[in-house]
Amino acid sequence: MEERSYQRKPVVKIREMKDDYMKFELRNTDASVANALRRVMIAEVPTVAIDLVEIEVNSSVLNDEFIAHRLGLIPLTSERAMSMRFSRDCDACDGDGQCEYCSVEFHLRAKCVVDQTLDVTSKDLLSSDHTVVPVDFNEIAGDETSEQKGVMIVKLRRGQELRLRAIARKGIGKDHAKWSPAATVTFMYEPEININEDMMARLSLEDKQSIVESSPTKVFDIDPTTQQVVVVDAEAYTYDDEVIKKLESMGKTGLIDIKAKEDSFIFTVETTGAVKASQLVLNAIEILKQKLDAVRLSDDTVEADDQFGELGAHMRGG
Amino acid sequence: MGAESLAGGEPSTVEQLIDRQKLAAPIKTAVDKFQLVPEFLKVRGLVKQHLDSFNYFVNIGIKKIVRANDRIASTVDPSIYIRFKDVRIGTPTVVVDGVSDKLAPHTCRLSDMTYTAPILVDIEYIQGSNDQKYRREKRDISIGRMPVMLRSQCCVLYGKDEAELAKLGECPLDPGGYFVVKGTEKVILIQEQLSKNRIIIDTDKKGNLTASVMSSTEATKSKTVIVMEKGKMYLSLNQFTTKIPIMVVMKAMGIESDQEVVQMLGRDPRYSALLLPSLEECASLDIFTQEKALKYLDNKKDGRALSILRDIFLANVPVHNNNLRPKCIYVAVMLRRMMEAILNKDAMDDKDYVGNKRLELSGQLISLLFEDLFKTMITEVERQIDYGLTKKVRSSQSDPSQYLLRDSISNGLERALSTGNWDVKRFRMNRKGVTQVLARLSFIGSLGYLTKIMPQFEKSRKVSGPRALQPSQWGMLCPCDTPEGEACGLVKNLALMTHVTTDEEDGPLISLCYCLGVEDLELLSGEELHTPNSFLVMFNGLILGKHRRPQHFAHAMRKLRRACKIGEFVSIFVNEKQRVVYIASDGGRVCRPLVIADKGISRVKEHHMKELLDGVRTFDDFLREGLIEYLDVNEENNALISLYEGETTPETTHIEIEPFTILGVIAGLIPYPHHNQSPRNTYQCAMGKQAMGNIAYNQLCRMDTLLYLLVYPQRPLLTTRTIELVGYDKLGAGQNATVAVMSYSGYDIEDAIVMNKSSLDRGFGRCIVMKKASCIMNRRYDSGASDRIVRPRGLDKDRERILDVDGLAAPGQIIRPNDIYINKESPTETRDHKSAEALADMKYRPSMQSHKGPEGESCVVDRVALSTDKNNNMCIKLIIRHTRRPELGDKFSSRHGQKGVCGTIIQQEDFPFSERGICPDLIMNPHGFPSRMTVGKMIELLGSKAGVSCGRFHYGSAFGEPSGHADKVDAISETLVRHGFSYNGKDMIYSGITGCPLQAYIFMGPIYYQKLKHMVLDKMHARGMGPRVMLTRQPTEGRARNGGLRVGEMERDCLIAYGASMLIFERLMLSSDPFEVQVCEACGLLGYYNHKLRSAFCSTCKNGDNIATMKLPYACKLLIQELQSMNIVPRLKLQEA
Repeated sequence: MEERSYQRKPVVKIREMKDDYMKFELRNTDASVANALRRVMIAEVPTVAIDLVEIEVNSSVLNDEFIAHRLGLIPLTSERAMSMRFSRDCDACDGDGQCEYCSVEFHLRAKCVVDQTLDVTSKDLLSSDHTVVPVDFNEIAGDETSEQKGVMIVKLRRGQELRLRAIARKGIGKDHAKWSPAATVTFMYEPEININEDMMARLSLEDKQSIVESSPTKVFDIDPTTQQVVVVDAEAYTYDDEVIKKLESMGKTGLIDIKAKEDSFIFTVETTGAVKASQLVLNAIEILKQKLDAVRLSDDTVEADDQFGELGAHMRGG
Repeated sequence: MGAESLAGGEPSTVEQLIDRQKLAAPIKTAVDKFQLVPEFLKVRGLVKQHLDSFNYFVNIGIKKIVRANDRIASTVDPSIYIRFKDVRIGTPTVVVDGVSDKLAPHTCRLSDMTYTAPILVDIEYIQGSNDQKYRREKRDISIGRMPVMLRSQCCVLYGKDEAELAKLGECPLDPGGYFVVKGTEKVILIQEQLSKNRIIIDTDKKGNLTASVMSSTEATKSKTVIVMEKGKMYLSLNQFTTKIPIMVVMKAMGIESDQEVVQMLGRDPRYSALLLPSLEECASLDIFTQEKALKYLDNKKDGRALSILRDIFLANVPVHNNNLRPKCIYVAVMLRRMMEAILNKDAMDDKDYVGNKRLELSGQLISLLFEDLFKTMITEVERQIDYGLTKKVRSSQSDPSQYLLRDSISNGLERALSTGNWDVKRFRMNRKGVTQVLARLSFIGSLGYLTKIMPQFEKSRKVSGPRALQPSQWGMLCPCDTPEGEACGLVKNLALMTHVTTDEEDGPLISLCYCLGVEDLELLSGEELHTPNSFLVMFNGLILGKHRRPQHFAHAMRKLRRACKIGEFVSIFVNEKQRVVYIASDGGRVCRPLVIADKGISRVKEHHMKELLDGVRTFDDFLREGLIEYLDVNEENNALISLYEGETTPETTHIEIEPFTILGVIAGLIPYPHHNQSPRNTYQCAMGKQAMGNIAYNQLCRMDTLLYLLVYPQRPLLTTRTIELVGYDKLGAGQNATVAVMSYSGYDIEDAIVMNKSSLDRGFGRCIVMKKASCIMNRRYDSGASDRIVRPRGLDKDRERILDVDGLAAPGQIIRPNDIYINKESPTETRDHKSAEALADMKYRPSMQSHKGPEGESCVVDRVALSTDKNNNMCIKLIIRHTRRPELGDKFSSRHGQKGVCGTIIQQEDFPFSERGICPDLIMNPHGFPSRMTVGKMIELLGSKAGVSCGRFHYGSAFGEPSGHADKVDAISETLVRHGFSYNGKDMIYSGITGCPLQAYIFMGPIYYQKLKHMVLDKMHARGMGPRVMLTRQPTEGRARNGGLRVGEMERDCLIAYGASMLIFERLMLSSDPFEVQVCEACGLLGYYNHKLRSAFCSTCKNGDNIATMKLPYACKLLIQELQSMNIVPRLKLQEA
């Protein structure tokens, strides 16, 4: 059998990068890879989140489970999560959260003694480990001045008290959404817009204007100098076919041709703040690699070699 | 207001709007009268009908009853008497150890008390006996306790503001209008009845024409029917066993001349022709004088004919000095109406017409009950006084007022309210199910109870007439809100602005009528009554006389009403067809406010509305100044009501305030209901009551037996005006879910929905179920011992795990099945009284309470409350809480009657996503749309999507587009396009599994979803081995008893048809109740097996020779023996198989 490699060299080009937001292009690969990356980012990049809550005193209006659920959803900084152990795999402890490899302990003590309501927020959560703390959104926004107080947990009236011990553990989004580091991970196919210049030149200005206006997003515009319809922002196109429909109704089918490039994707990644957006992508790639390794090295793969043939060889790096 | 709120997000459109309005409106634009609705509800409240009715009873009704029966005189010595001078209801109090304490309704709910206030009377009485008599007076004597309607005038909550209500533990959004009886909230449902004291022309079962009057006065109640049989008129009255020719009755009442009767009917020769057969019959009976007629009647009813005619026949027509002439005229009018109906079928009355109906409210029902109990008490007191006098007690200072202090009134009222049985012998009333428990499933559900109207008919009647939607229901009763099934169309609900009237003093009104030119009946001859140029005037079903200028008279009366010289709810209705002016001031009529228009021009002007908005004008000012008036169903027939101000013609007399007020409270929650297929709105009305959400602001302080709460309830993105008016935006019952209308995974067929696991993780559809467990500690048995709670003894460490040292479960503890939550012990000996020493070493046996629940469900003890019940027993209540996240099979519904169960739960990464990163919370199958035609749901999706994009709540009030209370689809689409969405609400979506774009654009956006109370956890059930019924030895029935799953008749039929005989044998006998019997082949009867002798024996044959052993279902053996016990001998004939 002829050895033929399907290997492609994907290219990533970063367009925009902030702590919790990133936009990048992924080229020279196909939807399966792009989607795998997206799925891993959502569901399999580990973070740390509160998983066990021991309530000592709770005289607030919200009940224990309610507060526990809210605590779980608070994003914690999880740069260390990749190197931590899952508490179920931890040898050093029996998963009760005392060991440093798999868990972090938090304490919360709040009591309202004044007449105003007291807001208990994620800032009141005291961590035993300075690397795992509730995400500070002011820091991300770069806004030190504003009085944002973190994620609200409960409001206390005079005399009410909340005292608890919480244990955060490593986990992945597949088990519970609280461990998902991704707020939004999405991609789109890069659109390729071709304007038939000859046909366009023959149109009147009103027609051109109506074509430009037919798109709900600002994709086209009229060049002020040449009076030609030009593409100003191809990525603003939402594949809504409005322009195509408009042209059809005008009887100018083929004037503008829009295709999705099958091998280029524009990713948008937003994180909860648990990890940096860039780190999230890197972690996702790392995990994807580990997963592929797991497939490649498993006994089943070797056995299935006959069935998969060259694909099996390809996966083993051939 | 509508235009203002439109201004929210988009200044550009508003500018356009204003410009267009300026240009396109040559005259002035319609006045936005919407603000009148909230103002109306502020003044009248959502349940004002109940409150008004109860207040009327408390202020006027009870006084009338007491005044009518104000004297209790001894029959032995008539100079000894008690006289009631005044009666009133005090403030709600509770008497604890002889000290009376102020009582708040929430205290009653928590400690199972009845929220009552004392009925206080001032009395004057004679004390002493024969020689020494003093007239004494006493004030503020309590004769019993009256259950108090919440928020009524005598309730402590009356007129309190939000902070004060909160202090009393009450929810400010709770409308009141119900009672608290023994800790449960009870509503007296509105009862629908046919109007009393009115002539109704109808046909009976045989198709004969009848005219019937249900007379109801303070003294008597009767039903008079005049029936036409074979062209002849007869009177049918319960007191007479047979039908009486009507002419005999007329003669008996003193109209001896036939001519006079004909004159009373009117001049038309057709009428006299129709009366001829009746006249002939009377003549053939040889009755020509009153004397003869009475004799004839006396034969039918041993000598009481005259008194029956006077007191029972047409009891609503008053008889002064034995003058029966008014009754004769009344009969003549009835006959005339019947004849009109013969000549012209249109003149028949429609029993289902809302104008012929009266609604009986809590005040009237309680007043009936109170009157009965009060009269019973009076006779009882009378008897006691007599007994005291005849006994000749030496203490001559006997005080008759002491006999008043009885519990009979309190107990009677409390019993009726808690059982719902109105059993008033005195008024021949025997109704069941008058009260219902106010279920606190959802805020909206409990509101629904207060507007519900119960029918008077049997529910089983299979007639369509009363169930059909009546055109006269418009604006009065909600056209959507009715249950499905047997009560469909019979149980109705009030519309948003409906008011139910209370009785009004009729004396002044009658004299007013005479002042305005009504010619008195007494002064008119029969002939004059029906002259062609005059109309009869009827007041509350009573003929006052006639008027020559009916329109002028009606106009004058209405003018007086608009000037508030007479009550605002008095109705003046000119019936041109019957040539009668009907004036009604009785209670129970439904009416609604309308804007008055003069020649089509609204009286409410822009400046009025501005003053209203500024708060210098109230709804009552509108009424007082004659800008708005109440019309009842009958008077609506004299009005030409236009829907909008722009649609008026010069004939228009009234303008609707807002069209959406034709719907009720519950149908008002549906956005764009006017775009939906009508039954869908009806389904939603039923489902909205089952939706979980917030119950009330005090929901966590309540001790309900079962409470469902949503963890994160939201207010709908697409609201309606009604939602804001009733407070649904503050106590919502649902969540805004992003819905994608597409097919996914195949687990979405038959309306199932696919849910996003991450959404569930984040709290979508999460709910709390609270259940009550309670236990009463018996303080005192006959032996003198009492129950006790002991600290855990450590005997069963595992089950006593959650107990505190006080022997009660600690709040916050996780409780598992079989855990003990009250470590109670009861004395072993409870019978005869024991001495103190015996009590000290009394033995106790454990009678602890343990949690019963499904295995594996981890509940938490939420609260423990201790209270004392009225027998002074300690009562312990526990609330056990369980938090649930949605699971497969839980039921959800949108607000458009589209229910579905959760079909599967899928990981977020597998869910489709848009390039903006939007990922739906749930996926709904598009097949739900075509057959249901719920276009409103699609518009809701569009509107909510636009709403989240631009940050403004959109509106979808019913019929709201013209008046700006519903956003138009055009405007919504524009908003969508402005925010980069497609105008049609569809998005380009990628598959989450492959990453490829989907072939179709997907309709996606937020829809308000309700979680319904039906959850799999409460319903799922399976069993293998399990308990059996003792009698039949068959498996028990039902989930609660861990019952078996029945192979029923139809399932059996399938198996028979298939021929699976061994399976039938197994299911019907082996898995059920196999039993081995000994059958004597000789006699065919059952024998028995003697275990001592190890042989079978036939007790009939007295031997064991021919015994065969076989298997039989135990139920069959039981049947054989039961038959034997009835002297039937079933014999078994056995054959070898």
